[in-house]
Amino acid sequence: MTEQRTVLSVRQAERRYVKGQAALAGADLDLHAGRIAALLGPSGSGKSTLLRAIAGLERLDGGEIRLGGALWSGPKTHLAPEARRVGMVFQDYALFPHLTALANVAFGLKGAGARDRAMAQLEAAELGHKAGAYPHELSGGEQQRVALARALAPEPAIILLDEPFSGLDRRLRHELRERTVDTLRRAGATALIVTHDADEAMAVADELALMEGGSVIQTGTPEEVWMRPVSAVAARLLGDVETVEAKAQAGRADTPFGAVDAPGLDDGTPVHVLVRPQAIGLTLDESGAFTVTRRRSAGTHLVFDISDSTQRHWHAHTPSPSPIGEGDSVSVTLDPAYVTVVEA
Amino acid sequence: MATGRQTGVLPDRATSLAILAALVCAAPVFAVTWIALTGETGDYLLHLARTRLPVYLIHSAYVAAVAAGGAALIGTGLGWLVARTDFPGRAVMSWVLILPLAVPAYVAAYAWFDLSQAGGPLQAATAGLFPTIRGSWGAGLMFALVLYPYVYLLARDAFTGQSADAYHAARTLGAGPFEAFRRTALPMARPALAAGLALVVMESLADYGTVSHLGAPTLSIGLIRAWSGAGSLVDAARLSLILVAIALIVFSLERAQRRRARTHAASGRHKPAPRFRLAGLQALLAALACLTPLMLGLVIPLGRLAWLALNELPATGLAAAAWHSLTLAAISALCAAVLGLGTAYALRSRGILAIASARAAGLGYAVPGAVAAVGVIAILSGLQSLIDPVWRALTGQVFPILLTGGAAALIFAYLSRFAAAAIGPSEAALSRVTPALDGAARTLGATRGETVRRVHWPLIAGGVTSAGLLVFVEVLKELPATMILRPFNYDTLAIIAHNYASDERLGEAALPSLLIPLVALLPMIFVARYLSRTRSSTGTG
Repeated sequence: MTEQRTVLSVRQAERRYVKGQAALAGADLDLHAGRIAALLGPSGSGKSTLLRAIAGLERLDGGEIRLGGALWSGPKTHLAPEARRVGMVFQDYALFPHLTALANVAFGLKGAGARDRAMAQLEAAELGHKAGAYPHELSGGEQQRVALARALAPEPAIILLDEPFSGLDRRLRHELRERTVDTLRRAGATALIVTHDADEAMAVADELALMEGGSVIQTGTPEEVWMRPVSAVAARLLGDVETVEAKAQAGRADTPFGAVDAPGLDDGTPVHVLVRPQAIGLTLDESGAFTVTRRRSAGTHLVFDISDSTQRHWHAHTPSPSPIGEGDSVSVTLDPAYVTVVEA
Repeated sequence: MATGRQTGVLPDRATSLAILAALVCAAPVFAVTWIALTGETGDYLLHLARTRLPVYLIHSAYVAAVAAGGAALIGTGLGWLVARTDFPGRAVMSWVLILPLAVPAYVAAYAWFDLSQAGGPLQAATAGLFPTIRGSWGAGLMFALVLYPYVYLLARDAFTGQSADAYHAARTLGAGPFEAFRRTALPMARPALAAGLALVVMESLADYGTVSHLGAPTLSIGLIRAWSGAGSLVDAARLSLILVAIALIVFSLERAQRRRARTHAASGRHKPAPRFRLAGLQALLAALACLTPLMLGLVIPLGRLAWLALNELPATGLAAAAWHSLTLAAISALCAAVLGLGTAYALRSRGILAIASARAAGLGYAVPGAVAAVGVIAILSGLQSLIDPVWRALTGQVFPILLTGGAAALIFAYLSRFAAAAIGPSEAALSRVTPALDGAARTLGATRGETVRRVHWPLIAGGVTSAGLLVFVEVLKELPATMILRPFNYDTLAIIAHNYASDERLGEAALPSLLIPLVALLPMIFVARYLSRTRSSTGTG
């Protein structure tokens, strides 16, 4: 991987609300030049608060946010939002209802060429023909594109997107996602996208940050994070996962599907064995220990529910087609690539 | 979201304005209450309670009931027609129907009484069959004709905002069009109707000019008599308290309606229902239905007064009175707009102090003008008795009498009654400025001041201007508070009109009577158009 230049760094960011609960509890995050990061977490995990803190719309109660050498938020510092060079796309777009699309894009621009630059930005979003339209005359997708164009127009150091696709239907969502990533890439922007949708996060991000309970629990490329989650919580944020509680023994950990490698863990350490449904391979076997209780198609693959003698149920994803049907007895193999052992 | 506090602009200055608004609005009521509870019990009130009080109460109820019934019928019907049907002229009618609010009820009463009295043109034309407009039913009718726009406006917006789904569901469940309307649309609009009716009832209870001209002995009449006849502040305060109590009951009934209604409004207002297109005879009937109240409440009364005014020399002192009316109304409007906007900003911060202040200021609308005036007098005389001894000790002279506190005292009373009316429109306008808009402006490089100037003001200017203009019109129309508080020889248009009318010199009363609605009409047109435009421009958002 090429050398990454850190543009923005968040260290131990804390934000407490009135009732004492923490929205941010020591969050760390780095944004790298020209790369798109996705911040993924369930609602209430603090991801929107972190985004707003970076924009300067929320103050920090502790920790700091720096852009390069400049301190944006710190113990006694709070740079006003307008003095930070951030562009932000809001969840409901926050287009100014009294201004045309063009005037919205030109809002953050100053000087003689403001109008022309705004028009160029609007044309890049293929909305030149809608320059005179007011926000309520635009479709949802067009509103999103105007909001993005408006945020990009002043050439901000970083661009923040808060659930930018949440208000759109599925087909439009996919199209706009591609278009947005494309636009950000062409602008060479350093971007942070907040989302609660794992597929969306993995589709847009060069770097993924997982958030839970007000802190960032894991960062890495989407592939790294998906393949090697640091905890059961992290694994679950990105999709279906089965957790087996076990104890490390001689560098191995036992599962109902056989022992797996647990390197570098002392004997007796409680561990979680995280098994993706893709790890479970099924073979028809009269004497197999598992029974198929349900079989359905998910289009690209098959989803099986299997249970063992203890009546515990497991999910398995296997390539389609398969001769295995409901009621069949099967034996199970594990693909170690989709299995991770973490300390409990 | 818990972010309003961070992104809101000027919360502290705004909260202090909200507190000021609350003080201005609530102080007279508290003063009235204090005087009424601590003053000595005189014979007058006991005598009154035995004799006139039941009459006052019955007639107040009678007038209010006729006014509310009439306004409900006209306002709901027209609101539904404009919201749910389409006919030629509908778009214009949508705002023109609001204009009778520019006509004071007493002005309509002067004209209609003159038209329908014995020997008048209507009796002559109908061979004496047309009844003379007088008494409590006549007064109630006048209120219905000029106050129905309150109901109409709220009903229209409620019907417009209603989703088609409930109505269609009722139709699929076997209800005919009218039954579906009665069982879905009407109950869903009920809180809005209740709010409009509450305003109609309060205004008709607060009125003095109409009921005194048509001979309907309501509580206001008793109050003014107690003050100007018997000259007793304590008795006036006690009658005021009864009036305030009734107003508060009306107010809280309306609140109760609204609270229950929140569940109605929350369920899907996404898809507005299509309008029934009326054609031919139906369209003609719809247009007639709209024109009738306009003729009765606006055109005929003003036409009659214009005709009377043309046949009479202008009353003396009219120019000075007009100037007084205009300046009082303008200054009150400006102050009310500032207080209203400040309170709206304070509410945006969601601070407890701000909310409490806004609530207290909102009570002002339940305070009839005469009561506000009695309250202001109570405050001024309290101040007088505090300052007098100190002043005398310091200067050896008598302190100038505050009671004739002049125009300032009048504006105080007007504001305590009408500042509340300015909060609502400002709050509604400011609610379009979401915290995300502030955030967007700030991240695009705008400072706080710039955000207010470039984003807030363009979005709220119409609402704030409307709020100010509404107060302007109300102050222009106001009579009882002005009667009680005006400095000696200080006339307004309303006072001149009332004085001539009560001397049965309607010819001389005509021009000042006519000038009030004529001056009020232009601001009213702005308000009406604003109130009819905002919904369509924000409706799709």
